Order: sequence, then C-alpha cells, then structure tokens
Amino acid sequence: GSAHGRHCHRQQGREQGSGSGSGSDSARPQPPEPSLLRFLVCPLSKRPLRYEEATNELINEELGIAYPIIDGIPNMVPEAARMTHKKPPAEGSEQP
Amino acid sequence: VRLWRCRCRALLSRPAGAVRPRRGLAAGPEMHFGFQTVTEEERREKIYQVFENVAKKYDVMNDSMTLGIHRVWKDILIHKMNPCPGTLLLDVAGGTGDIAFRFINYVRSVRQRQLQRKLKDHQNLSWQEIFESYQKDKSNSLGDSQVVVCDINREMLKVGKQKAQHLGYTEGLSWVLGNAEELPFDDDKFDVYTIAFGIRNVTRIDLALQEAYRVLKPGGRFLCLEFSHVSNPLLSSLYDLYSFQVIPVLGEVIAGDWRSYQYLVESIRQFPPQEELKAMIEDAGFFKVDYENLNFGIVAIHSGFKL
Repeated sequence: GSAHGRHCHRQQGREQGSGSGSGSDSARPQPPEPSLLRFLVCPLSKRPLRYEEATNELINEELGIAYPIIDGIPNMVPEAARMTHKKPPAEGSEQP
Repeated sequence: VRLWRCRCRALLSRPAGAVRPRRGLAAGPEMHFGFQTVTEEERREKIYQVFENVAKKYDVMNDSMTLGIHRVWKDILIHKMNPCPGTLLLDVAGGTGDIAFRFINYVRSVRQRQLQRKLKDHQNLSWQEIFESYQKDKSNSLGDSQVVVCDINREMLKVGKQKAQHLGYTEGLSWVLGNAEELPFDDDKFDVYTIAFGIRNVTRIDLALQEAYRVLKPGGRFLCLEFSHVSNPLLSSLYDLYSFQVIPVLGEVIAGDWRSYQYLVESIRQFPPQEELKAMIEDAGFFKVDYENLNFGIVAIHSGFKL
C-alpha cells in the first residue's frame, strides 16, 4: 500500500535476515527483514511506519514516536517506544 | 494481607472453577493469575516473568510434561490448516517457533510435490527449458509462503530465533515483539492466524480476538490450539492428579521453577471451556466457529473464519 513508498530503500540491496551468519549480539545493529516492513504498522494508531537506518528504528511521524529494533526484532510495544523530539506529537503525550 | 488472602484462596479454590471472574474481560480491577487474585497490571507482569524464567527450558518442559504429545497436537494443527504455498501466516504467542517451523516444513513439501508434478507434465521440453524452470523454482522453495512470529516476550523470541538459525530456517520467517491485544499489523493482511498455547496467557482475550479478526484477510482463518476442559469425570480426576502433583515437581526438577509451572496448571483450570471460548470467538465476528477435542478435551482446536 501507501506505506511502501516511505520505506528506506537503502535496505534493499543488502543480504541479511534471520539466517545470516551473525548469531551473537554484535555491536552492529541488525536491520529487520524487508518483507516484514510491508505488514508492520504502529500498534497504537495502526498507521504506517518509516524505517530509519541511522538509529535502526521504526518511526511513526504523526505521533512522533520511534520503536527500536533489537537484535533484528522490531519491538512493537508502546512501552518500548521513545519520543522522537524532532516534531512534537500532535495530541499531547502518547506514552503510557 | 493480600498474599495471605491469595494463599487461602488458592488452597480453598483448588477444585476447578471456584474462582472465575467474568470471561475474558477485566472483572473490575481484579483478575485471576492461576488461582490468585491480582490486578490486570500485576497479571501481565507475572505472566511476563513466568515466560522469561521458563524460556530456555520451554521446549524440554513441554516434552516432559506432555510426554512428547504436544508435538502431535501441533502437527494436527498444521494438518488441519492444510496451508498451500503462498499462504501468509501470523503466529501469535509463537515464541519458540514450533508452529512456524512446522508451517514451513508443510508448505515446502507441498511445493516439492507441486514441482515434481509440473516436471512430470512437461515431458517434451528441451533440456534448456527444463533447466531454466528448475532454476526458477529452486529459488522459491516455499512458493512465497511466509510466517510472522509475534510474541510479547523477548526471551521466548530469542530462543525461537536461535532455534531457527540452528535448524536452518532462513527464508519466509520473521520475528516481531508485539502484544496480541494490540497487534502492530495492518488490517486484512494475513491468510491464517494461529495462537497455540498462548491465548490462555492473554489478559484481555476479547481484545486479542478482535485484533485477530482485524488483521485477517476476508476469507482468512483463525485457529487456536489450547488446553481445554475434560468432561469425563474419571479422566478429569486423573488429569487433575497428574497436573497438580506431577507437573510442578517436574518444573522444579527440570527448570528449577515449580511456581511457574504451578501457574501453568492453574491457568488451564481458569481458562474458559470449549463452548464458552467458541462464544467469545463468535463475539469477535468470526463465522463457522467450531472446535475439535484432542485427547478427550485435554486440548482443543478452535477454528473460525472472517467472511
């Protein structure tokens, strides 16, 4: 859908995923499975997310929150999200 | 005082069904955690801790407690699903990946048979044509099937991911940390939604069912594999005996944690029986809701469709 256009395309050429050799928690952040980005939305607003390669996060621009990706696993619970501070959220604090 | 009250209640309410708040909904601020009474927030925390503690020993414990029969139950679930290549599966509370791996194995073998049949039908192709078609199909051994494993517990997902790497599952599989009551997926996306031995641990079952409905495509199928109620009185007594006397002991011996397994056994007793769960699934909007008892109701598979 419309979410596709927003995703970071720098991802596409890279060969990675759950099967690649890096089994241990390395310092280099593991990006998520590209196909996964097709389904993921913000659990709160159900709106599309943008993958930010620099911080390895999935960002909901509207609400101004970012979900971390840890060990290649997107952490899609509101408790784990942080405020992005780039743009103040539209309706007050969304954080529990 | 609360701890004392909880213990008393636990002792007094051992017969199944004694303490049972409103089905699937938070009965005021109090809910059940096994046979204890806790707030909704406490329940979530305690359950998170249970699975954090058992994650590494989860598979071993499943085998010990069920004498390996849980494997058969899970096989039956996948056979009932009968997925064809190209199916998109969301496995919720899928933690250590048992359902996901079985799904991949299943579609892979269906795909194999498809390709073999195709090859047999094309007897008059040139070598070049056969070679090219083989190359094309080889890179698509799953036929575009995909499974997303969603779980709320980081430790369980970690174990699952490690297992996947160890067993060689690389393509068609992704892992997401998410809450069954508030799924991070868009509407109308999945062909099948499964939740195996997970829904019992969800605090708001009604929300989880609503979310399941939301993320399924029209025509999609909901499948739930869960411990259920044994109506046969003799079997029920034997089952109770085994559950309360043997399982927590196994938990202590194998995982060093009888309390978590005590919770597990109690939570099974607190969970709605077959007909009640069926009604809840219907409330969420599913049609053609049905269930199948396995082993006299020790386990049941509930199924429903989004139309």
